[in-house]
Amino acid sequence: MTFLKRVGEYVSDAFKAAKYIGQGMGVVFDHMNRRPVTVQYPFEKLIPSERFRGRIHFEFDKCIACEICVRVCPIDLPVVDWVYNTELKKKELYSYSIDFGVCIFCANCVEFCPTNCLSVTEDYELATYDRHELNYHQVALGRLPSKVTEDPMVTPLREFAYLPKGVIDPHDLPAGSQRAGKRPEEILAEMKAAKEKEAKATAEQPA
Amino acid sequence: MTTTGIDLQRSFETALRNLGLSPGAAHALWIPLPMLLMVIAATLGVMVMTWLERKISAAAQQRIGPNMAGPQGVLIPIADGIKLLTKEDVLPSLADPVLFTLGPILVFLPVFLCYLVVPFGQNLLISNIAIGVFFLIATSSVQPIGLLMSGYGSNNKYSLLGGLRAAAQSISYELPLALSVLAVVLMSNGLDTVGIVEQQSGLGILSWNVWRQPIGFVIFLIAALAETERIPFDLPEAEEELVAGYHTEYSGIKFALFYLGSYANLLLASLMAAVLYLGGWSFVVPVETIAAWLGIPLDNPFLQIGAAVLGILMTMVKAFIFVFLAILLRWTVPRVRIDQLLDLGWKFLLPVSFVNLLLTAALKLAFPAFFGG
Repeated sequence: MTFLKRVGEYVSDAFKAAKYIGQGMGVVFDHMNRRPVTVQYPFEKLIPSERFRGRIHFEFDKCIACEICVRVCPIDLPVVDWVYNTELKKKELYSYSIDFGVCIFCANCVEFCPTNCLSVTEDYELATYDRHELNYHQVALGRLPSKVTEDPMVTPLREFAYLPKGVIDPHDLPAGSQRAGKRPEEILAEMKAAKEKEAKATAEQPA
Repeated sequence: MTTTGIDLQRSFETALRNLGLSPGAAHALWIPLPMLLMVIAATLGVMVMTWLERKISAAAQQRIGPNMAGPQGVLIPIADGIKLLTKEDVLPSLADPVLFTLGPILVFLPVFLCYLVVPFGQNLLISNIAIGVFFLIATSSVQPIGLLMSGYGSNNKYSLLGGLRAAAQSISYELPLALSVLAVVLMSNGLDTVGIVEQQSGLGILSWNVWRQPIGFVIFLIAALAETERIPFDLPEAEEELVAGYHTEYSGIKFALFYLGSYANLLLASLMAAVLYLGGWSFVVPVETIAAWLGIPLDNPFLQIGAAVLGILMTMVKAFIFVFLAILLRWTVPRVRIDQLLDLGWKFLLPVSFVNLLLTAALKLAFPAFFGG
């Protein structure tokens, strides 16, 4: 009897295993009817988020050649070429360059720049045929970034966090649809309203 | 079976004889034609399969897959082929040049030899030898030797491990495969593939072997999947463990042989599943019955051509259902461990296939009308 029982258990185990594999195949099969979630890159591009740290922009005229950017850089990357002008008693900037083949895009330089002559852009397409071409001088650094949303060749897609609540597909969003949660300006307005209300309440209260 | 269907060989040879050739010359001219056709068909099948594999894999992962090379990326297999043919053929240092070269050939050739006995219709196969199924199993057993050769000849420990695993796996799963096929052979009283299909084609879908051999069918599918080294059983080339197993060191044309061989093997296994269990070229309703309904005589040439086309289509459709299942399974189940693989082969499939064989024999004795007396 125990033998028969064991055989029965074995068979039921085998059937269970087959059932689970069948269920799994059902799940995989179901996925074949879903729309691809991939971004078709050269034709579609994701809109970088507000705090995206891309290629660094540099404004030559604002720079005072203080070399703070070099000091805060983890690898002392920016090359600041200046000469002290004795007549003007000022540092005169000759050239400024950052090698994006070495840069880690931490944006420390941007954070610490005293004159805000450095800023981060949303540019991330830096591919070149030669790594030396990644060494951007002040002219290259001063070029304005191109926006994904303004490129007529590209369908801009929103990132996952910027989709309306419950939506996971960035394609074919209805016009004017907003991301889940409140926007910063809405929160600000609410805070302001709450503050005013509180102030009113304290003013009306008999002292 | 009263009609013989289309006999291209006879018509071709009589046509040549009428032109004044001797029967021997006519036969010699005929012989390379079906072979060439079969090799081209198998290669085309492989190309379609690589494209399908990519597209279905992409769909299962919610991607698009190849879509730039031609419409829907259909030219991707051609790009693949050109790439593999133009790549440098590297021979690793200290590798055995003879074994290294012989390995892929021995893996590739048996698969294409096996296409000799795959029937697409009454006379639509290269040679209807009486030991068809046996020939198939015997020829496909040569493959692990090639795998072992290439694994050993590569002078690479991963290749060697892959080759050894391939040999162990092939030997373990050949037994249940052969036993499940044997049960089918028992029912059709013959080893020839045409006979096996004819035995199933009496009542259309009802007389297919799946209904009489459900256990054997499942065993055949699992064992065939293991023989073709597809994903739940792709231990010989487990990329996370063994880089690429026995074809780690291969590139260019030799790698192309492995690639072609593995896909041709999957297609062959699918075709065999269709032939052995799903009634081969027979339609859901027998063509003879349809002809009788429509009142068309069976020797009508258009009917015969239509039936032949339908037969080829049915065989391909049935085979590609299995190809699809194999790809679907690839993205469903994870790879088994080597001990689990051998456990499944020796402790589960082998006893179950023995039971299946005995059961078939007993049922054949008990109900000879249903189980081919």
